[in-house]
Amino acid sequence: MNPGTGLQVRLRRAVPFALDVELEAPAGSITALFGPSGSGKSTVLRAIAGLQSMDVARITCGGATWADTAAGVAIPPHRRPVGFVFQDYALFPHLTVREQLALSLGHRPAAERPARIDSLLQLVQLQELVDRRPAALSGGQQQRAALARALARDPAVLLLDEPFAAVDWALRESLRRELVRLQRALSLTVVLVTHDFEDVAKLASHLVVLEGGAVTASGSVETLTGRNAVPGVSGWREPAVALDARVEAHESERQLTVIAAGDLRLEVPAIAAPVGAPVRIQLAAGDVILASRRPEGLSLHNVVEAEVLAIEPAAHAALRLVHLRVGATRVLSLVTADAERKLDLAPGKPVLALVKAVSIEAFA
Amino acid sequence: MDWTALGLSLRLGLVTVALLLPLSFLLARWLAFGRFHGRGFVEALVALPLILPPTVVGFYLLVAFGRGSPVGAAFEALFGQPLVFSFEGLVLASLLVNLPFAVQPMQNALAAIPQNVRDAARCCGLSPLQAIRKVELPLALPGIATAAVLTFAHTLGEFGVVLMVGGSIPGETRTISIAIYDRVQAFDEPAAGAMALVLLVTAVAALAITNTLARRAGKRD
Amino acid sequence: MTRRRIVLARVLACAVLPMAAVSLEARGANAQPATPGSTKTPLVAAASDLQFALDEIVARFHSDTGITPRVTYGSSGNFARQIEQGAPFELFLSADEAYVDRLTARGLTQGKGALYGVGRIVLFVPHGSPLEPDPGLRNLAARLASGESGRLAIANPEHAPYGRAAEQALRSLGVWEAVQPKLLLGENVAQAAQFASSGNADGGIIAYSLALAPALRERGTFALLPDTLHAPLRQRMVLLQRASPAAASFYDYLRAPASRAILSQYGFVLPED
Repeated sequence: MNPGTGLQVRLRRAVPFALDVELEAPAGSITALFGPSGSGKSTVLRAIAGLQSMDVARITCGGATWADTAAGVAIPPHRRPVGFVFQDYALFPHLTVREQLALSLGHRPAAERPARIDSLLQLVQLQELVDRRPAALSGGQQQRAALARALARDPAVLLLDEPFAAVDWALRESLRRELVRLQRALSLTVVLVTHDFEDVAKLASHLVVLEGGAVTASGSVETLTGRNAVPGVSGWREPAVALDARVEAHESERQLTVIAAGDLRLEVPAIAAPVGAPVRIQLAAGDVILASRRPEGLSLHNVVEAEVLAIEPAAHAALRLVHLRVGATRVLSLVTADAERKLDLAPGKPVLALVKAVSIEAFA
Repeated sequence: MDWTALGLSLRLGLVTVALLLPLSFLLARWLAFGRFHGRGFVEALVALPLILPPTVVGFYLLVAFGRGSPVGAAFEALFGQPLVFSFEGLVLASLLVNLPFAVQPMQNALAAIPQNVRDAARCCGLSPLQAIRKVELPLALPGIATAAVLTFAHTLGEFGVVLMVGGSIPGETRTISIAIYDRVQAFDEPAAGAMALVLLVTAVAALAITNTLARRAGKRD
Repeated sequence: MTRRRIVLARVLACAVLPMAAVSLEARGANAQPATPGSTKTPLVAAASDLQFALDEIVARFHSDTGITPRVTYGSSGNFARQIEQGAPFELFLSADEAYVDRLTARGLTQGKGALYGVGRIVLFVPHGSPLEPDPGLRNLAARLASGESGRLAIANPEHAPYGRAAEQALRSLGVWEAVQPKLLLGENVAQAAQFASSGNADGGIIAYSLALAPALRERGTFALLPDTLHAPLRQRMVLLQRASPAAASFYDYLRAPASRAILSQYGFVLPED
């Protein structure tokens, strides 16, 4: 959908609450805008779409300037190639799904529109519901309709404002999968606003953390989680590393799948993704056991050689968070202070990291 | 039954609705979506005719548009007849007096459109004008219809202001409500009764229609 | 367009189109062009006491000439004010010549006009009223004194000549102070007559011409009050600046013997000019 340098955003505002943000969303990837309620993330999203004015704004996308207060440029929302999925979907109550999409296709010649509508419906699998009004659609269907409507714009950037907040857990998982599928198929640049770290861990490759109107951390999800360096999360959530992996092989007789996350190779219960397919895994620090020598007679499948990088105090006085590396890949382990003494852990010391196959959360 | 008066009233009602609806839509929109400091004050001004006795309104209209006023004098210079005691004067008075009946239902209908939906319209590539035409108007339609019906019915029933500003000139400013008054004074009860019945039926029909519209709008959400 | 909207559009069309047709037709039938001086329907402002007498004269005028004057009845003072403010009347028949003189002084009239009659007032009492029709109002005075009196309707003395005459009569007979709290003020003398005959008042002091009309005749009785009790109600009519030829011909018609006869029938004392 768009190549180019991605989205670059610089915003500043004083009233009604202070906002000072500079962020970048790389092209063709999902960037999560994460933070507590009131941190300004929705405001930033709206400003990117052109729905919010700022004191200072500079927004460029793939080389095109959407806003530049210094130069007096302010392209109105209807002329920016953005697709916006609102938190409550904001579907037009008086239009059928087909009509909603048709409305969004104003930038295409009329002759092309019917075909385009059909392909969009296929993409989100709403073909049978095309003549229904929003009131006759379920929550998940409405979300897909809103997605299709946003995609109809042929957007350079897809903006999603807490898209799964109003949806129950089971539906959330399937909607997440759908979003990832679409993003990969269309190489979309996506900015996703969320206060749920699960969304970040499962979907995003880049993360911008917003607190009180300012950016407190930004970087790749893998790096930030690997270093337990996500402000506002690291304090209370159990530390967990989110890694991008690939399916390497399926061992069908043992009903296991081998996945590789950088230098880390793990066996997990069989997942239904083809070889070579990308997988996102989360490894909770509490699920990583450290050993000084290879154990025997355990149900364990994953025994990995690692090196201790650092040990830091954890939330509880009697616990320690150990930063490890497996090649270039970072892993965390949560142990007791007593274990630290027992194993004589120190930076540079080689250890074995043990992970139950069952503990690895794989999202494909 | 004074057919001229009835025709005049109907004409006044239709002209008032035709002129007032677009103007009020813009005003209603401004009040519903605008964020500015004097909003409460403007809303109070709009609501004023609801509370003021028609004679007060009529009095101030005479002051503002009578012969002695700049507006009245200009009108008379242009058209050779005074603004008051003419159909045009009645239209002007009617526009002002019906403002709340036109603005408030539309303002409520527009304000009920979620901000997100309006933003979505912009993000779907619709220019502000297209958004009004394709999203705001259809969604506010019950409110607009209510405004039209209320304005029409109220205009038909207007008495105090019409009498003060228009006099009771047959064929020009003697509306049906004035004609009823006139027939009563002439001891012609049957004629007065017939015309009063017409107004009563109109009022009941108007209320029935607005209630139906309100219910339908409520159901849709 | 969805089915529902088509139906709605049809319903609205059925409602709106006939109304538009009626209103346009009514306008066409009685078109008053922007500049006054219309040919077929001159605009006349007449004091309310002429309600019935003038209707008769207008009917005769129409059958004689085909011209239909459009008459508005009301209080003379109100009309004078409206004419000063530019109301498009062409002929003004006032129940008190002072109002005509006022307009003449302001240059709004064609000449000083002509006296068309002298008005008289009566005490009108509807059937079933406890009040007695006494030209000296003694019964009224007694009932006021004893506190049994109901309301008495008169036209508003501020701007209706008949109201002013009623007040003068009541003062002359010494009952004005006592009757104050019981007064019902009518916008004009016709409305006063309405109040007086409606049964909501004991009676009223109204125009002789109205009391003589069939509509009121059957509702009650009356007593003619002596004209010494009030200043004479010299009634003057005048053509206004914007009067059309049709209005002028009506004006002349009003001074013809046939019209004067009708006025006399309704109790107007004719000036001997």
